[in-house]
Amino acid sequence: MKGVLSVYKYFDYIKIIGVWISGISLIGMMLFIVYDVFLRNIVENSINGGFEIVQNYFMPIVVFPSLAYVYSSGVLPKMDMLIERFKNKTKMFIIIGMVLIEIFVLILMTQFSLEYALNGLEREIAFPAAGTLYPLYPIFFFVPIAFGLIIVENIFILIRNLIEKQPSFLFKGEDKK
Amino acid sequence: MSSFVVIVIILTMLVLFLVSGLYIHSVLFASGVIGLILLEGFSILPGLLGNEPFNRVAGYTLTTIPLFVLMAQFILQSDIVKDIFYIVNRASRGKNSVLGILTLMIGGVLGAVSGSGTATAASLGQVAIPELRRHGYSAPLSGAIAAAGGSLSGIIPPSIILILYGVATETPVGQLFIGAIIPGILVMIVFILVMLVYFKVDKNEVEIDDEVASTEEQSDYKVSVLRLSAAGTVSLLIMLIIFGGIYSGIFTPTEAGAVGAFAGLLAALVLGKINSTFIKKSVVETIKLTGMVMLIMIGAQIFGRFVSLSLLPRKIIALLEPIMDTPALVLVIISAILFIMFMFIEGAAVILMSIPVLLPIITELQVDLLWFGVFVGIICTIGLITPPVGLSVYAVAGVSKIRLEPIFRIGMVFAVAVLVVVCGLMISFPEIATFLPDSMDS
Amino acid sequence: SDSEETVTDQDGDGEDGDGEAVEVIELRAATGLSSQHAWWSDNMVPWMDRVEELTDGQVQFETFSGGELVAVPDEADAVLNGTIDVGLILPIYQPDQYPMAEVTMLPLAHSDAHIGSNAWQALLTSDVELEDGKTYSEMQFDQFKVFPISTTQEYSISTTGKEFDSASDVEGTSLRTPSRIHEMYSETIGVNSVTMPAVEMFDALSRGSFDGSYYSIADWSGYGFEELFKYTVTDINFGHFNAFIGTTQEKWDEFPENVQEAMTQANEEIFSPGAQEWIDRSEEAIAQNKEDGGQFVEFTSLDQEVQDLFNEGIEKTWLDYAEILEEQGLPGNELIVLWRDIIIEQGGDVPDSLKNIE
Ligand code: NA
Ligand code: NA
Repeated sequence: MKGVLSVYKYFDYIKIIGVWISGISLIGMMLFIVYDVFLRNIVENSINGGFEIVQNYFMPIVVFPSLAYVYSSGVLPKMDMLIERFKNKTKMFIIIGMVLIEIFVLILMTQFSLEYALNGLEREIAFPAAGTLYPLYPIFFFVPIAFGLIIVENIFILIRNLIEKQPSFLFKGEDKK
Repeated sequence: MSSFVVIVIILTMLVLFLVSGLYIHSVLFASGVIGLILLEGFSILPGLLGNEPFNRVAGYTLTTIPLFVLMAQFILQSDIVKDIFYIVNRASRGKNSVLGILTLMIGGVLGAVSGSGTATAASLGQVAIPELRRHGYSAPLSGAIAAAGGSLSGIIPPSIILILYGVATETPVGQLFIGAIIPGILVMIVFILVMLVYFKVDKNEVEIDDEVASTEEQSDYKVSVLRLSAAGTVSLLIMLIIFGGIYSGIFTPTEAGAVGAFAGLLAALVLGKINSTFIKKSVVETIKLTGMVMLIMIGAQIFGRFVSLSLLPRKIIALLEPIMDTPALVLVIISAILFIMFMFIEGAAVILMSIPVLLPIITELQVDLLWFGVFVGIICTIGLITPPVGLSVYAVAGVSKIRLEPIFRIGMVFAVAVLVVVCGLMISFPEIATFLPDSMDS
Repeated sequence: SDSEETVTDQDGDGEDGDGEAVEVIELRAATGLSSQHAWWSDNMVPWMDRVEELTDGQVQFETFSGGELVAVPDEADAVLNGTIDVGLILPIYQPDQYPMAEVTMLPLAHSDAHIGSNAWQALLTSDVELEDGKTYSEMQFDQFKVFPISTTQEYSISTTGKEFDSASDVEGTSLRTPSRIHEMYSETIGVNSVTMPAVEMFDALSRGSFDGSYYSIADWSGYGFEELFKYTVTDINFGHFNAFIGTTQEKWDEFPENVQEAMTQANEEIFSPGAQEWIDRSEEAIAQNKEDGGQFVEFTSLDQEVQDLFNEGIEKTWLDYAEILEEQGLPGNELIVLWRDIIIEQGGDVPDSLKNIE
């Protein structure tokens, strides 16, 4: 487990970088919209293409880069009334089963969103705003990267449950409520 | 495979996944993807799933979710709301029930500046739950109050749900907003009444704890008059900026999210609260909550694609044909079906998948589209606090670490009360929703 | 999604012969627009109904509207990747993929829903070779089998009260711009452009966030604008939004001949009534708007200075649009000449200065 832990540490760094990117985008989005409102009211001219830029650039960058961090933070909801009643051994089997389903779905999502991004790259998909075309396809790549990182997280969770005695949906174990 | 068999398989699978403790977003992802494979084969997946995550997230109105949460974070980290609760507590000396009423009313007021029930519930959860707990409310009841108070944003205008409905049915959004005012207030009143009953029952059980908590609170939380008046002024100013800004046309309800967050940041600056921990904590909490909501929305969307393709809603509604000459009965049945759909599926997804099916029926029944929009909006709003998919409750549980199930148990009672009382009143007296917009017309 | 059910060719006029079973062709059709939108309710739905009727149920449609299955503007992609069989396609929303589709949005001196629609149809079926021996449709929509449907009614400028009494009134007016062409046009006449989702507009406009919008009157009711706008300039035209019903060329080739004929015939039958619907809707909106105190001002009654400003803007926008296309290596100059000729041929008009371009 020690070796796994030290590898996971590096993975944590990657997730933190994602949080930084999302966080900067969040603050940026706030300032951008405020500035747009300010311009429209003072100069009577908004940032050209402002809302398209917010929805196509800021929003996805607020959400996707930090998704793996969000996943491992334990904030994601689930119904746990039944599983809590099982013994550790049964619990472990259920958790491993669920993690495998999770990985299966995530692989599909990663693959399809990657295909979509590559297709977008090929067609140079762009969005029109204020008479100009802004490239959109680079943002598409955040999606498969986000899902891919969550697969890695799940592989760590799988390994953890095979090694540790106390089964858990999270790599670092769950908070006691 | 016949779509009926697929529907049965997938719904069974969904329940199994849910009770096995799979994450909610994964339950929706997995059931949706497997359902699509059974229904259409593997080849339909790439075209349907590849663009979904991006498209779902890249929406301008959705910026209200992170930005109103960020505003709440800034305000919370500056202890402003805490101080307000302190003032209110002093004012309502000994009458702890007032605090619950006040929380729900603050939920209503926040609803008037927020379009999303989830965002408000999360903010309210962070601010109000610790205070409610200190004043003798049980953990589940505090959670339910915050979740219900937050859910009010779903119906009290501005409302993302009403915007979605307006777009889907081409009903003027402004009129929908006006029509939702009275029913929205009714929902709040029902929440308050049910809460009072719960509080009375709870109080008899935890009398002693209550007194200990109160004394403790009195001794360790003291605030200077200067600080209180600063906090009071700042919070009033923020309210004024948001309300004044929206209603004078300086910014739209969506933009109010950004302006509100910015005002919160300035307030924290004035109160001398800003440091790196303040920023870091506010931003990370916001990102966590936003990520959670978006992940579920993406899952719901994919599950919704399956539901659409299986024609499930149409099959249910085809069964209604024989009773079309009794509109009230059809409406009762429709509200029951919607209530159940909103229990299991994220609100916007339900609206998007059911409106194309419901609309012909509503038109045939000669029911007013505006009225129906408000009606659906209310059922959607209470869907935010019903199990197993209740985003308001998830948001509250996420920020407060209170367990989901007990909150849901109370949330369900809140929801059923609203369904019976408010929806019942609306069917009996449609003017509740149409009176205000009609009087504006002339 | 072709199913294995069968029906009989009951009136016995089909090639499949009397009483013989023919395979049912089940097609999935979708739009991201609401089910009330005239392009769906008064163009695509009647088309599908008529096709079902003409083929005696051999073709059946399973329909999805309001973004239930596919959102605007993903219909084209959904048709191409097989998610749906038939889609209501709005190419103007994807200028990165269909840069020449916006040509119908170019401002004109005169036209109406019928002229715009007929011109759009003529453009799609035009055999004029624009580049490398390719026609307009071959250059833009070669992957699709295109069934042209009506364009919208012409776009107008409406404000919540601001009037254009002199050229200086136009300068600095802020209008919402729904397309790239309108952005370009606004810039040339000194109008500030506001970009905002249509659903946010009612709120922002009713609270005075900006002055007005380019919009088609027939579309007002969708967002309640007939109560909001107080001043509309008529008889000048800010383009027609276009659309078509599309399936893939591949799928089209697989349809039996009688089905192809039915689809073509149905398309011809619904085309004009579809355009008329916009005019009816706009008349209704105008009546309602007048009742609510809105005024309609003829372009030719405006101050000459204002007229000149607007007209010069029209010319410059045409040339700018052609230049953008040329920069992308597309035949922009040929395209605007073709469009001008078609517009005039169909009974519309352009400012005089554009009549000389070649
Ligand atoms: Na609200
Ligand atoms: Na629910």
